[in-house]
Amino acid sequence: MTVRLQTSDFRLYVAAALLTAAALAVPLWGFSMSAPQYPDETLYLRVVRGGIAGDVHEVETLQQYIGVRFPTSLPELQLAVRVIAGLAALLGVAAFVGRGTPGRVFRWITVGVFAAFLAGSAAAVQARLYQVGHDRDRSAPIRAVRDFTPPIVGPVKVGNFTVWSFPHVGAAMLLMAAVLSTKAAASRPEA
Amino acid sequence: MKKHPLLLIAATVIATLATVHSMGCGAARSARSIAAEKVYVAPGELDRYYGFLSGGQSGSVFVVGIPSGRLIREIPVFEPRAAYGYAMNESDPRRQELVDTGGVWGDTHHPVLSETDGVPNGKYLWINDLANGRLARIRLDYFEADRIVKIPNLQGAHGIAVVSPNTKYIVVNGEFEQPTDGLATNPAPYTSVVAFVDPDSMQVKFEVRVNGNIDIADTSKDGRYSFSTVYNLEQGKDMGGMIQFDRDAVAAIDIAAAEKAVAAAKGEVRNQVPILDPDQNPGVLTLIPVPKNPHGINVTPDGKYAIASGKLSPTVTIIDAHTLKIVAEPEVGLGPLHTTFDDRGNAFTSLFLDSQVVKWNIDKAVKGAPDYIVDRINVHYNIGHLQAVGGDHMHPYGDYLLALNKLSKDQYVPVGPDLPENQEIIDISGEKMKMLASFPTPPEPHDATFMPVSALRPLVHQTYTPAADAVQAGKERIVRTGPNAVSVDMTLIRSAYTPETVEVREGDQVTLKITNVETIRDMTHGFALPDHNLNIALPPGYTKTITFNAGKPGVYWFYCTNFCSALHLEMRGRMVVQPKNSTVTLTDWHAAENVKGVVAGVPSTGAEK
Repeated sequence: MTVRLQTSDFRLYVAAALLTAAALAVPLWGFSMSAPQYPDETLYLRVVRGGIAGDVHEVETLQQYIGVRFPTSLPELQLAVRVIAGLAALLGVAAFVGRGTPGRVFRWITVGVFAAFLAGSAAAVQARLYQVGHDRDRSAPIRAVRDFTPPIVGPVKVGNFTVWSFPHVGAAMLLMAAVLSTKAAASRPEA
Repeated sequence: MKKHPLLLIAATVIATLATVHSMGCGAARSARSIAAEKVYVAPGELDRYYGFLSGGQSGSVFVVGIPSGRLIREIPVFEPRAAYGYAMNESDPRRQELVDTGGVWGDTHHPVLSETDGVPNGKYLWINDLANGRLARIRLDYFEADRIVKIPNLQGAHGIAVVSPNTKYIVVNGEFEQPTDGLATNPAPYTSVVAFVDPDSMQVKFEVRVNGNIDIADTSKDGRYSFSTVYNLEQGKDMGGMIQFDRDAVAAIDIAAAEKAVAAAKGEVRNQVPILDPDQNPGVLTLIPVPKNPHGINVTPDGKYAIASGKLSPTVTIIDAHTLKIVAEPEVGLGPLHTTFDDRGNAFTSLFLDSQVVKWNIDKAVKGAPDYIVDRINVHYNIGHLQAVGGDHMHPYGDYLLALNKLSKDQYVPVGPDLPENQEIIDISGEKMKMLASFPTPPEPHDATFMPVSALRPLVHQTYTPAADAVQAGKERIVRTGPNAVSVDMTLIRSAYTPETVEVREGDQVTLKITNVETIRDMTHGFALPDHNLNIALPPGYTKTITFNAGKPGVYWFYCTNFCSALHLEMRGRMVVQPKNSTVTLTDWHAAENVKGVVAGVPSTGAEK
C-alpha cells in the first residue's frame, strides 16, 4: 500500500485537473482588431474548443480586400483539445498516486508532458499566425498591405487595422494548472 | 523739451478712447466665445438632445442635434426620397399606403412624442399631414415611418397632441370645416371634428364635432381634457368673414365623458368612426371664450394652466386646466403665437409681429403683478413656434429654447429668391435670455420637440435584425415564375451583388427581393438601376422586395449608391434584358450550384413558353 499524498498537494492536483478540464469550456486564444472606422466596436476572434468564434462574418468580409485566407480547418486545435483532455486525466491520476518513487516519476512525467504541450502549442500558434500573414491570395485587390507575422502575444499593424494576439482565459487556466502541478510535484514530503 | 498743454490733453483723450475701445472689443469677443462654447460640440462628441423638427412641406421630420444645431438625419414620411430608397417604387407597400391615403406629398407640422408618466419614453413620434388629413407614426428604435393613416371625416389635420401622461390617444384637430353631411353642395353650416386616435392600432376611436376651424392641440397633464384652439366660430368662408366675432374659443373636450358617450352608442357612425355631437352629449365639450382667432394652446408642465396665445390680440389667456375658468389675460406683445416653459415657473411666448420671444412669470401674471414680464429677446424673423427643451412635457430642462422663425432675410448668404428657414438656439438658463446660435433648414419646420440623448440613445438600433424571409447568403437564386415573370433573390455585402448577372426577357415583370447581409453598423448599400427609375437603400440586415418591368432590351448596370468600401465603384452587376423574340434560352440560377461552377436549373424559354 502506497503512502498517500499530503492533503495540500492532493488539493493542488485536483485544482490543476479541474482547471485543465475547464479550459476546454472557455476561449483559449483571442485576437482583437481595431481600426479608425470601427470606433467602440473592436472586432474580436476567439479560438474555442470547436474552432474560431466571434466576429467571423465581418473579418471574413474584410479579408477579401487583402487576400488573407481564413483557416477553414484547424487540425492542430483538434489535437490540442484531445491533449488537454488527456492532461486533465493525467493530473487527476497524479492526485492519487502515492509518495513513493514510481509516483514521483509519474508526477514529473506529467509536468514534462504539460510543459511540452505548452511549448508545442505556442509553436503551433506562431506557425499558424505566420501562415495567415504570408499564405495570401496574391490577386487580392489592395496591394499596399505587406505580408505580416502577428506575434504570439502582442500587436501587429495590418493595413488600417491593429491586430492584437493574446492568450485568453483558457490559456491562463492551463498555465495556472501547469504551475500548480509543478509545485505539487516539487513539494518535499515532510518527515 | 517743453510740452504744449493742448498736445498733452489730446494725447490723454486719444489714449483713453483707445483703452475704452480695446476693452469694448475684448468684452464683445468674450460674449461671443461664451455663446459659442454653449453650442459647441467637438467632433466626436455627442449632442445633449435629439431635436425633432417637422419638415413642413418637405413632408418629413428633421432630426437635429441640440445644442449644436447639426442636421443629423431627415426621416422621410409623406414624400418619397430616392436617397433613402423610401417609397420610390410603385410596388413599395409604403408608397401604396401613401397613394391610398392621399398622395405622395404631405405638409408636416407637429411632431409629438409618446409619453410615460408625462415624459417621452422614446417609443414613437407622431406627425401630422395637414394637407391630406393624415397621421403618421415613426418608430424611434429605427427612426422610420411605421404607419400612415387617413383620418376620416376631416380635412386639414392640423394640431395634434399626445394625451398625457401615458399616451392614451393622439388628438388630431380638423382645421378645414366640411359640410355636415359630407356633400360639397350643402352650403352651411360647415363643421369639423377632433379625432382621438389609438396609439397602437392607429385607428380613430371616436371624433367630437366642433364648429369652426380647429387649430392647435394640447392635453391636460392628468389626461382629463384635450384643449384645442378654435377660430372662425362665425364660419366665414373668406378672411374677412373669419374675423367678425370678438371672441373665438378654446374647445376643452372631457375625454372620459366622450368615452362614456361612445360606449353608450350616442354617436353617429360615419366611415366606421363614431362622431359625438356636443349638443346631444352635454358635458363632452366646453367652449372657453378667448380673444378672436387664437393660435397656440400650451399646458404648463405642472398641469395647472392651459395658455392660449392671442395671435391678433396682444394677450395670452391663462385658463385653469381643472376648472376651465379664465384666471388672467395678460398682455405680452404683438402677435403671440405659441408658449413654452422652463422649470422655474416661467413661460416663453413667441411674438410673430414683434419678432421676439417674451419671457414672463406665470404666477405673477395670474396674480396680476405688474412686473410679470421678465425679458424680451429679438429673433430673426417672424417667429412661429418655439419650444424649450422638455417644455411640452412634465419635466422641462430649462436650458435651451429653439425659436423656429418663418423668415431669414439677411441672416444667411443670398441663395436666390427662395430663402432658407432660420432656427435660433437661445440660452434660457439665466434670468435674461441669450442668443447662442442659428442654423438654416430646408422648408419648413413648424414645431419641434426634444428628447435627451441619454434616454433615447440606448433604445436606438443601428442594424436590422434580418427578417424571417430575408435572403440568406448562399441561397440566392433566379427563378422564372411565369411566362413573363422572374423572381430574383439577391444578397449584397462589400463589395458585390449575388447574383451579379440577372438575365431576363423584354416584357418580364421582375420581382427582386434583396437583402443586405452586412452585420456591422453604417454599412448601408444601395441598388440603383439605370433607366428604371429605381434606387433602393439597404441598411445592414435590411430586406426589400420590389417589382418592376424589365424595360427595353439592353444591358443595365445596377450599382451601389451608398459609398461603402474600397471597391465601392466596382460594386455593381448587370441586368441583361433579352429582346422578346430572342431565341436565347434563359435558365434558372441557384447560388449553391454556381459555387460549384455549374449553372444548373430548369431551362425556361421565357416569353415563348
